[in-house]
Amino acid sequence: MLSERLQLKLYLEPSAHFELEALIPVFHRFIRDQVIKDLLIDVVDYSHVPAGPGVVLIGHAADFYVGALDGAYGLIYSRKRGGPGPDARLEDALRRLINVARLLEQEHGLGWRFKSNELSLRLTDRLHAPNDDGTFAATQAEVVALFGRVYGSDIAVERVPAAKEPLSVRIKASSSPSLEALLEKLGGPPEAAS
Amino acid sequence: MTVATTWKQKLAGQVREDWAREIDIFETQIELRKKGKVEEKLFAETRLRRGTYGQRYDNGQRHDGEKTQTLPYPSGELTKGPVTMWDAPGMQRIKIPYGKLTAEQLDTLSELAEEYSDQILHITTRQDIQLHFIHIEDTPDLMRRLAAAGITTREACGNTVRNVTACPYAGVCSTESFDVIPYADALAFFLLGHPDTQDFGRKFKVAFSGCKDEPCGLTNFHDAGAIARTRTVNGELKRGFEYYVGGGLGAVPYPATLFDEFLPEEELFPITQAVCRVFARLGERDNRARARLKFVVKKLGIEEFKRLVLEERAKLRPDERWTSFLKDLHVTDEKPLKAGSELAPGTYPAGFDAWRKTNVHPQSQKGYSTAKVTLPLGDFTPGQGRAMADLARRFTGDSMRATVEQNMLFRWVSNADLPAFYQGLVAAGLGAAGADHITDVTSCPGTDTCKLGISSSRGLATELHKQLSVISDQLDPAAQELHIKCSGCSNSCGQHHVADMGFLGVSRNMNGRRVPHFQLVIGGQYKNNAGSYGLAIGAIPSKHVPKAVKTLTDRFVAEKQDGESFQAFVARIGKKEIRKLVDQLAVIPSYEQDPSYYSDWGDPREYTIGDLGVGECAGEVVPLVQVGLADSERELFEAQLLLDEGSSDSAAARAFSAMVLAAQALTREKNSFLGEGVDEIVSEFRTHYYDTKLFFDPFAGGKFAHYFFRAYEHRGEAGSSKEGAHQLIEEAQLFVEAAHQCYTRIAGALP
Repeated sequence: MLSERLQLKLYLEPSAHFELEALIPVFHRFIRDQVIKDLLIDVVDYSHVPAGPGVVLIGHAADFYVGALDGAYGLIYSRKRGGPGPDARLEDALRRLINVARLLEQEHGLGWRFKSNELSLRLTDRLHAPNDDGTFAATQAEVVALFGRVYGSDIAVERVPAAKEPLSVRIKASSSPSLEALLEKLGGPPEAAS
Repeated sequence: MTVATTWKQKLAGQVREDWAREIDIFETQIELRKKGKVEEKLFAETRLRRGTYGQRYDNGQRHDGEKTQTLPYPSGELTKGPVTMWDAPGMQRIKIPYGKLTAEQLDTLSELAEEYSDQILHITTRQDIQLHFIHIEDTPDLMRRLAAAGITTREACGNTVRNVTACPYAGVCSTESFDVIPYADALAFFLLGHPDTQDFGRKFKVAFSGCKDEPCGLTNFHDAGAIARTRTVNGELKRGFEYYVGGGLGAVPYPATLFDEFLPEEELFPITQAVCRVFARLGERDNRARARLKFVVKKLGIEEFKRLVLEERAKLRPDERWTSFLKDLHVTDEKPLKAGSELAPGTYPAGFDAWRKTNVHPQSQKGYSTAKVTLPLGDFTPGQGRAMADLARRFTGDSMRATVEQNMLFRWVSNADLPAFYQGLVAAGLGAAGADHITDVTSCPGTDTCKLGISSSRGLATELHKQLSVISDQLDPAAQELHIKCSGCSNSCGQHHVADMGFLGVSRNMNGRRVPHFQLVIGGQYKNNAGSYGLAIGAIPSKHVPKAVKTLTDRFVAEKQDGESFQAFVARIGKKEIRKLVDQLAVIPSYEQDPSYYSDWGDPREYTIGDLGVGECAGEVVPLVQVGLADSERELFEAQLLLDEGSSDSAAARAFSAMVLAAQALTREKNSFLGEGVDEIVSEFRTHYYDTKLFFDPFAGGKFAHYFFRAYEHRGEAGSSKEGAHQLIEEAQLFVEAAHQCYTRIAGALP
């Protein structure tokens, strides 16, 4: 994947008791206790913005969002800089995303569950990954190969039609493995992001 | 065809040559700094002049609620300014002259927020756009992409002419003398990079207003403020400006002083240039706290200042740009996309009537309205930015204005289109009513991202919005129209001085722990271009502020007389009454009973580390200090009452007395034999707190102590005018506040 910047999102199961603000102390604790290995900097609350990024865990190399930027709540891993080479970027992002989703599911105070088989990918790098047919074809091939291997099932990739937005695809796996199983397949919790 | 691998290649030929060159130079400076070939202070000023700021935690330290942790940024010790780590995310301020945005520009800004920032665009209280959490090395490309859309970040910060602001209704307003936009536009680019604006000791802000009575231009708190005026001379209608200088908010707000009641339009540029030259020559350089133009005007007096400016004006070499724009004042006119029309009676979308009532206003042009988009805290997403750009293309033909109330204004909406326009906003999550009403709370970034923030102004604003939204429909119309503004510290970026209810972040030591508070500022006037400034009544624990707002609002509604404004109501019932409310809300439960009081809004970390040692001395001395500081606050309040009664001299004396009491309280910590004599207190305070720098603020240094020393040296002088007494009270408040901070540090609760 040529795009260094990317956003991979895992969607939340709808819940009658969903409370976004409950995430703020959790993310602060992630920083304080260095729950994940990345360099984390701060927590920002944008829950006042309708269909916004929600609550953001700001990091140096990547951010984590729990919001509804595309209209549905979910966890976004947003890679900003650095990271592995083009061939390993997507897998690295999936591993980091699944890891934090798993940690959030373990937070009993939240009571959240993620739909493990529904994701979206946005390439927030218009220079190296313009929203065109060529980028889509390359992305689709890479997504099908990686997700097919990790999920062990058929993968459907659908392009989101929005010309001015970064290239965005919806990804659906025909199986729904647990997050633990997915993480294990990806090699377990990741090391610190470079 | 070669595929571009950099934005520089991709945008070649699309960026103004001079702007492209400036950005290339900045990129080179970044590389040189990385190699250690540019000194860090010089690099800091360089990036600031390009609008590239630091942000909270950029010193590489962050308090996690229990302890301070080091943030191990990968570039190690490399800095982008003094105590500013290279990799620490920063803020990019983007100058938007008079807030005007085209659809294409908003699309570009949205892309940048999406790719380099945290998916949020933020409108500031001076019509800029800010993006947060930007890495320094992304800024050259970001600037190139902006430049390709006709936006420069040059001089968005630093000791320069900042964004030129103007009334967002200019050109479509029924109360304006004439459209000020061609003047604001031409002046913004005339001053940008002008040799006479490159050597200031501090920033310089310019504002335009089309009329005097409305608040839109807020000219009263700008270094140079121009209000449109016309005058008939020899039977011919002439244009000019009521021209003010030396206004400013900041820690000690100064109202602008009238320079010329009718400055002819052809003299606007040369006089402003001459003002800049005098400011560059006479403005303070060493002491940033006294470096704004307001201090030059105050020191010289307006007559001498004016004499110097006119002398300078006479020396200026004529510049065709002074008047060339006057040949075509219609160059900035906007052409509406649709013909004017009337809104047909009928069934409108749900929520439309409420939105229309608060957010829509008729233009002076028949058949058209302005429509304001309510943006909570000035924030919106890239998707919402694109949606607004598309609405502009679809309905208005490109006209948008970022406003100082942190909203977006659309102009030239044909009235029949209003329901469809509203539906477009709703689809983007932007259909909220209440723009510029009580629920639409203005706030600076505060502790969210600002290095100087003391309390969470955005957290408070969010909470007030939430609580007031629930009841706003039931509120009396007079209450609905109140303005609330919050600042995270005394620097006034939230413009709390000109709100009906302003809040200014401070902290207090209570029950052995540090507690976030806000000073309640009452009596400010928003109308008349921010006609007068409020004063702080007292500090309220953050978590009690919503209760204070509710109580004050209820009382205003219950007791106001016919047509009485909130400002007049406060003046009638008196600050003593308001102070009673503050006193009632001052008490909070112990930490053990309710620890939430010891955290700020929206931030669960403990506001204090809460590990105060209770030594043998502390058990006695600390309460004595607190008693002394409380006495000084009481004295300050008395000073305000005296000022309200018209006793300027007594008010000034009382304000100075408050400073003396605060200094005495602190100094007795070091010298228990300290007496009551003012000379002795000042001398001992200087020895123990100033010379040792113990009193120094981490950011402001000895600024607040200087207020005290100056008040001592000039005691008896401030009371000769109401303005002088007002300023002394402001300075005394800051000194007492600094004494609180100093005491907290002494007690061990602050680093």
